Amino acid sequence: MALSQDDVAGIADYARIALTPDELEQMTTYMNEAVELLEPIREYDLEGVEPTFHPIGDLSNVMGADVVDDSVRALPIDRALENAPSAHGRYFRVPSILGDSEEDF
Amino acid sequence: MASLDSLSAAQIAAGVRNGDFTATEVAQAALDAIDGREKDVQAFLQVSADLALKAAAQTDARRAAGEKIGPLAGVPVAFKDNMHLVGTRTTCASRMLENYESVFTATCVRRMLDAGATPVGKANMDEFAFGSTTESSAFHRTNNPWDTSRVPGGSSGGSAAAVAAGEATLALGSDTGGSIRQPASFCGVVGMKPTYGAVSRYGVVAFGSSLDQVGPFGRRVEDVALAMNALTAPGRDPLDSTSQDCAVDFLEHLDDPVEGLSVGVVPQLMEAKGLSQEVRDALAAALDSLRDQGARVVEVDLPNIASAIAAYYVIAPCEAFSNLARFDGVRYGYQEPDCATLAQQTSLSRAHGFGEEAKRRQMLGAYLLSSGVYEKYYYPAQQVRTLITQDYARAYQSCDVILLPSAPTTAWRFGDVSDPTQMYASDMFTISNNICGNGGVSVPLGLSAQTHMPVSAQLQGPAFSDRRLLRFARAIERGVDQGLGLGGGAPVAPAFAGRGGDL
Repeated sequence: MALSQDDVAGIADYARIALTPDELEQMTTYMNEAVELLEPIREYDLEGVEPTFHPIGDLSNVMGADVVDDSVRALPIDRALENAPSAHGRYFRVPSILGDSEEDF
Repeated sequence: MASLDSLSAAQIAAGVRNGDFTATEVAQAALDAIDGREKDVQAFLQVSADLALKAAAQTDARRAAGEKIGPLAGVPVAFKDNMHLVGTRTTCASRMLENYESVFTATCVRRMLDAGATPVGKANMDEFAFGSTTESSAFHRTNNPWDTSRVPGGSSGGSAAAVAAGEATLALGSDTGGSIRQPASFCGVVGMKPTYGAVSRYGVVAFGSSLDQVGPFGRRVEDVALAMNALTAPGRDPLDSTSQDCAVDFLEHLDDPVEGLSVGVVPQLMEAKGLSQEVRDALAAALDSLRDQGARVVEVDLPNIASAIAAYYVIAPCEAFSNLARFDGVRYGYQEPDCATLAQQTSLSRAHGFGEEAKRRQMLGAYLLSSGVYEKYYYPAQQVRTLITQDYARAYQSCDVILLPSAPTTAWRFGDVSDPTQMYASDMFTISNNICGNGGVSVPLGLSAQTHMPVSAQLQGPAFSDRRLLRFARAIERGVDQGLGLGGGAPVAPAFAGRGGDL
């Protein structure tokens, strides 16, 4: 069944991508064409076939040593904030997510 | 006087080692070539002249002090712009990351630099590697050096074009569904996608985590082998949990004959719809050359490969949606100003930061992962992935490598393929290798008589047999050197050769 513009608007909301009405129309056309391309997947009898989620299937997970490793893996705070579009002191700055308080810091 | 155009990476490193020229002179010649050629090819998003001269000066200082210098000493290298290098921006050719300054250096980049390479810049690409032409770059297109009215391929189009235009001797790219092998084919250079896990992906912006692999471009197979050594010799990277030990010397058996080894061909693929006659003819010549060198030709069957595109366009968008969720406009990247809520800020930052194709892929992934749809597509796609992997395993019981096209056609003109789903189908020969994690390499065969554009063969092999793959690639290159096609291997595209770059 084809995806409607409403369906696609719902997906855009879930994907957190705001689409204009024009984009929504084009995206709906695209989504239906793309999903059609995937049809061969649905024509298989896959009873009893194990899925492969990862190409190196028979290897086990690699674990790091359980030690604090600030020197290599953790960025210093100033470095981590270097690319933030909006920061405040040691923090990333975002619009309020709790209530509609106008209070700012 | 030498020109960088006629020197291989091995020759440059040897010249620096022997004192025939300095790494600084090589860096200056490369920057001079970029200066003279870049306006017509536009392979770079950022030229890192300061970093290049600094790295070269360090190489020269090391040599002067009698210290050991690396196997890539002085070799000019370009990096795809999804690879972090401190001192450069890493934009992924997206408005989202237009001003993003690298905060660390990717392991693959680090290892090339540790081997003595000189970083000349960051290469253009399709936005976040979504595309087959580099046209989805948010900043500018890249032209094919063999005909600037044609696309260079993609997504690593800038890396391939920089090497083909003689702006860099080596380049790194990444390949999720063909993004190294297809642009290598379009630009007439050697491009290798190693086995999944052979090269660390730490510091490379993720697209499809079960598919992505980093690999090198060069004009000669030997140069690609040299780069593979630099990328893998230090062993597995503890910073990438998928990284595997790959302790082989890629140069060691490079020139060994292929006599007695076997090459598989898939008759059903050679009849595929959309495969052009010129590519089919070139492949037949490559096969003849391998046969003349003593390789045995066997027919193999890959019955499920026809579903590889469908499986890929389920798996890759799902993984991309998951990976690109990090771009929320908070920690880095574009942030929409003046938003009242975090949800609005996120949705508008993503809407205005991402280009069209990046939005399409994420929308498709979001849909396929949604409840009720996952069971219909995602899970079955992973089962089909098992079938494709089994097909290859069965085929490799009767052959050492498989010979097939890299792309169904030579490079097309800008604007000739604009429909996104039609574009997806052009990955038909490369995508299955990512699905099962095996290695593949594209080797130039010369220019076709019809379009006068580079045409290439692809070799695929079992996982972690990349060295044997290069041995076959070298055998094809020998055939080309002896007059199959253009001759002389893969030269710098004639319209660009000699425009700066004198040493």
